[in-house]
Amino acid sequence: MTPPNTPFCDGLARRDFLRIGTAGLLGMNLSMAQMLRQEARGAGSGAGPSFIYLFLQGGLSTIDSFDMKPESPSTIRGPFNPIRSKVPGIHVCEHLPEVAAVTDKFSLIRSFTHGDAGHGSADHHMLTGYRPNAAFNAGLSPNNQHPSLGSVIAQRLGARGSIPPYVCLPGMHASGSSSYLGPSAVPFVIETDPNSPGFEIPDLQPPLSIDAARIADRRGLLAQVDRFQRSVEQKANANAGELSVFAERATALMTSREAKTAFDIQQEDPKLRDAYGRSTLGQSCLLARRLVESGVRCVTINHQNWDTHSKGFVTLKDDLLPKLNLAMSALFRDLDARGLLQSTVVVVTGEFGRTPVINKDAGRDHWSRCFTVALGGGGIQGGRVLGRSDAQASDPAESPYGPEDLCATVYHLMGIPPHEEMLTQEGRPVMLTNAGRIMRDLL
Amino acid sequence: MKTRFSTLKCGAGWLLAAACMLAVPARGAAQQPQPDFIHDVAPILSRFGCNGSACHGKAEGQNGFKLSVFGNDPRSDFEALVLQDRGRRVMPASPENSLLLTKSASLVPHAGGPRLRVGSREYGILRDWVAQGALYEDKERPVWTSLRMEPAGAVLGFARRQPLKVYARSSDGREQDVTWLAIFHSNNPALAEVDEQGAVTTGSLVGQAAVMARFEGQIAIHQVTVPRPGAPNAFEEPPGVTDIDLLVHKNLRRMNLRPSEQVDDAGFLRRVAIDLIGRIPTLQEARAFLEDTAPDKRARAVDRLLARPEYADLWALKWSDVLRVDRRTLGHANAFAYYQWIHQSVEANTPLDVFARDLLEAEGPLTQNSAGYFFKVTKKPGEMAATASQALLGIRITCAECHQHPYDRWTQSDYHGMRAFFEQVRFKKTGAEEALIADGTPKVTHPRTKEVLYAHPLGTPMPEADPSGDRREALSHWLTSPDNPWFARNMANRIWSHFLGRGLVEPVDDVRASNPPSNPELLTLLARILTDAKFDQKTLIRAIVASQTYQRSATPNPTNGEDELNFSRALFRRLPAEVLLDAICDVTGVPEKFPGVPLGQRAVQLWDSEQQSYFLKLFGRPMRTTACVCERSASAGISQALHFMNSNNLQAKLAHAEGNLPRWQALPGGSNALVESAYLACFSRLPSEQERNAALAYLAARPGHAKEAAEDLAWSLLNTLEFVFNH
Repeated sequence: MTPPNTPFCDGLARRDFLRIGTAGLLGMNLSMAQMLRQEARGAGSGAGPSFIYLFLQGGLSTIDSFDMKPESPSTIRGPFNPIRSKVPGIHVCEHLPEVAAVTDKFSLIRSFTHGDAGHGSADHHMLTGYRPNAAFNAGLSPNNQHPSLGSVIAQRLGARGSIPPYVCLPGMHASGSSSYLGPSAVPFVIETDPNSPGFEIPDLQPPLSIDAARIADRRGLLAQVDRFQRSVEQKANANAGELSVFAERATALMTSREAKTAFDIQQEDPKLRDAYGRSTLGQSCLLARRLVESGVRCVTINHQNWDTHSKGFVTLKDDLLPKLNLAMSALFRDLDARGLLQSTVVVVTGEFGRTPVINKDAGRDHWSRCFTVALGGGGIQGGRVLGRSDAQASDPAESPYGPEDLCATVYHLMGIPPHEEMLTQEGRPVMLTNAGRIMRDLL
Repeated sequence: MKTRFSTLKCGAGWLLAAACMLAVPARGAAQQPQPDFIHDVAPILSRFGCNGSACHGKAEGQNGFKLSVFGNDPRSDFEALVLQDRGRRVMPASPENSLLLTKSASLVPHAGGPRLRVGSREYGILRDWVAQGALYEDKERPVWTSLRMEPAGAVLGFARRQPLKVYARSSDGREQDVTWLAIFHSNNPALAEVDEQGAVTTGSLVGQAAVMARFEGQIAIHQVTVPRPGAPNAFEEPPGVTDIDLLVHKNLRRMNLRPSEQVDDAGFLRRVAIDLIGRIPTLQEARAFLEDTAPDKRARAVDRLLARPEYADLWALKWSDVLRVDRRTLGHANAFAYYQWIHQSVEANTPLDVFARDLLEAEGPLTQNSAGYFFKVTKKPGEMAATASQALLGIRITCAECHQHPYDRWTQSDYHGMRAFFEQVRFKKTGAEEALIADGTPKVTHPRTKEVLYAHPLGTPMPEADPSGDRREALSHWLTSPDNPWFARNMANRIWSHFLGRGLVEPVDDVRASNPPSNPELLTLLARILTDAKFDQKTLIRAIVASQTYQRSATPNPTNGEDELNFSRALFRRLPAEVLLDAICDVTGVPEKFPGVPLGQRAVQLWDSEQQSYFLKLFGRPMRTTACVCERSASAGISQALHFMNSNNLQAKLAHAEGNLPRWQALPGGSNALVESAYLACFSRLPSEQERNAALAYLAARPGHAKEAAEDLAWSLLNTLEFVFNH
């Protein structure tokens, strides 16, 4: 534990940091100007690492995709066959042929484990690096007991330019929020589907009938009539200050050319859009690439329906794997072709894997004791396999890794020391990662 | 080896022969009892965090060694230490080589690092315990009965240090200094931090903090008060103060704060209308109120608002959140029936004790006794008990389902004793009709000890048997008694919080020993007003809104700009999602049309929290999956700001041909009438000269575009902080 008043590497003493951490709660410790200054300090410039978290909510069946067990009995191995991939020795599912062609661009952890087989709590564990405690209520949105990876990244690195540092799409996973890191680390949430025909960000542009001059006029009038803006009342009420911050951000976003470009998926070459797949998953990945290109530091894609309990193989073969095949392969290829892969960490995983033994409904149930996580870019070596599962993929056979280690590795690659502290609402110091280990064998 | 294990397992007082020779230190240890696990070792495991939820206390243990979280199950902890891992953890023949000692002192690799030093007091106790045979419990020794801290409270300046002492009293009447074994926790570390040795250090914030010490299931509280520094800021009691104000002022003097001025008429009317009926005043109401010169006009406005039907809509919405009118769980028809029961109760001004009784004792056909849906939505007896405790008493007992509450005194016996009241509840279907029945004699057992637990309310001793008949009647009788230690106080606190933006206990549904009220005397007074009025909510509301405390301005003075805890000024509160949307509709004169709901029904009147609405979702409407008031979010985001600035829906309301704007433009009096109307409708006040001139100049500069200019003016007013907040 850091002793009191030891400066962090960002020059903040613990006591200062403590006030920032609880500013939203107590409201009176940090003026808005201070808070903005603090953010400005965090704000980097130019390029720098980014992170795309492709979360397959429900639980990707990795025994049917990235860690197949063709030697095991038919009650376990399932109907799919493995195929060779670009990297000798790495086999993937026959329904992921495009992914097989890019296995040199990412690596696989085949000994991933956390032991929590409940959706909500496992999601929280995977998205924050912290297993939730007993008071967890998965039904809340947000339900964060600890900040999501994106929130930590946003808080530590700040925004690049006028574009928000952390974006969730489509919609925000209930564990995607900032918890005690407060409003500046809340994601910008794209609620609409990037695959929808006239996709646009709700409310990002004024109604068509209101032209730019009139917007400027309105804003000018607002500045004259908003009597609590920069008032003693606003200074004394943190929530009023926050609202002003968001209004400023919203204005910056509206007028940001970077944002306008980033969100305008229609500008993409239709062929490239096809390559990603004309699906929510595919177009979300494409939009993520656009966002990263424009300076967003973390994009979390929450793709649902991976909970393949019944008729799982049909769903995987006909629907989910073909979509993943296009989206994931196009994302790695596209990032690489643009020179962005070196600076963009990509993680592809569900909250857990699925049971080795096939159930009576031709599907598989939740399995958190062992599954595979794919990750690449941003300094991660491609074409490697870390760890190994046992003969039936039911437990790690060697080198088990968990969500804590994944977080530590991602933070490390983002240039954030994983063992720094944050403070909870109660003022309790909490490590960015819960004793996670950086997976140096991948770097 | 096998023999030793089995002997240890069954004989708590058993002493290892070899250890006898090692035992008994020279210094008159004849009076010293033999150290045992229960009295000597378990407190050390808790104090040094061994059984914390991040270490060996987590569900799967740590590195093969599992302790029950917070030492909840001492017997299994003892067995884990003494029996497991081939006896390497506790080796009486060679105490210093026991893993218990080598690990905790980090003499061998320990992921948790060194927890205690070789040669320290705690090390010595662990060693002696091992050496003397690792006894489980000496039943002759007394048990802990209470805990206190010295001093019990302190008034400190900035950056001051105050060491605390913790004394535990045992059943033999003796007191012992247990400071070194106590675990400390501050509820406001920014204001007052406490270190592991129990020394409090204040920061540079004004306010109060509660520092809790925990020792072996007992809790004590030390209250730290940090007044505003500087010369004492005495103020006279102004004329017309109420009992509520006197207690608030007493606290403000202690904190060296001075209250803000009283809010002006416009500010009062807008505030009290939002708080009482969830609507901002119409421009006619605002104008009439401003022009009224009667000295009692504020009290009469309160009377008028309390009689309005929207009062019931607003409070039905509040209770629907807490009591979980959840359509996803209940289905349309059931959720609507449940809502109607709540709405009718509020409309009839049912006393709160009767309301709680109706809820807790609901039985029979659900269509006629729709309060019974409470038991449908909470499903299981444990959840019924936990939800009822949180919603009606403000006490969260869910922690105690599996272990002792870490910040309160609730044990598994308390939780399961409460659960036992609801075990009889079942549903019987006859045809299309479903009825709630509570009968039979189901037994509840303690999940660990397996002893039978009879239904008993929180904090009361367990009786010899379950109550006969419907057990819930016994619970509701206890709960709604004026002497109940929590019910009236919690209801009063919820009402206070609604009007002042902050509970005396905050959050209002997290009443704990370690979360004491910021002004205990005031909470007692409010509860007494409520019980004296036989739980008539409106009586307490009248008392609160008539106080100078409620009627304070939001403008801080030089003393209270940083105070959010002591009610020295009015706090900014963002309008709840439904109220905010209705306010936009009221200002523009264009109602919102919700899918499947008749036009004209306002957002506050929606019974279904799943009702499709981007606005309501965006502005934090709760899901109603728990009783927690935290589900309703007032937090802001970029998307909300974008919506206010750019929403097509808002623009359509501004541009609507039959909305208020064209009406105001057609008023005699020209632009000036438009500006005044817009100000009155948004803020219940007239514009200042400066504001009037700015608005008039804007309108005058756009000849030929009067409609657009009026829209721009209304857009600007709706986008102000003044509009979205109650202040």
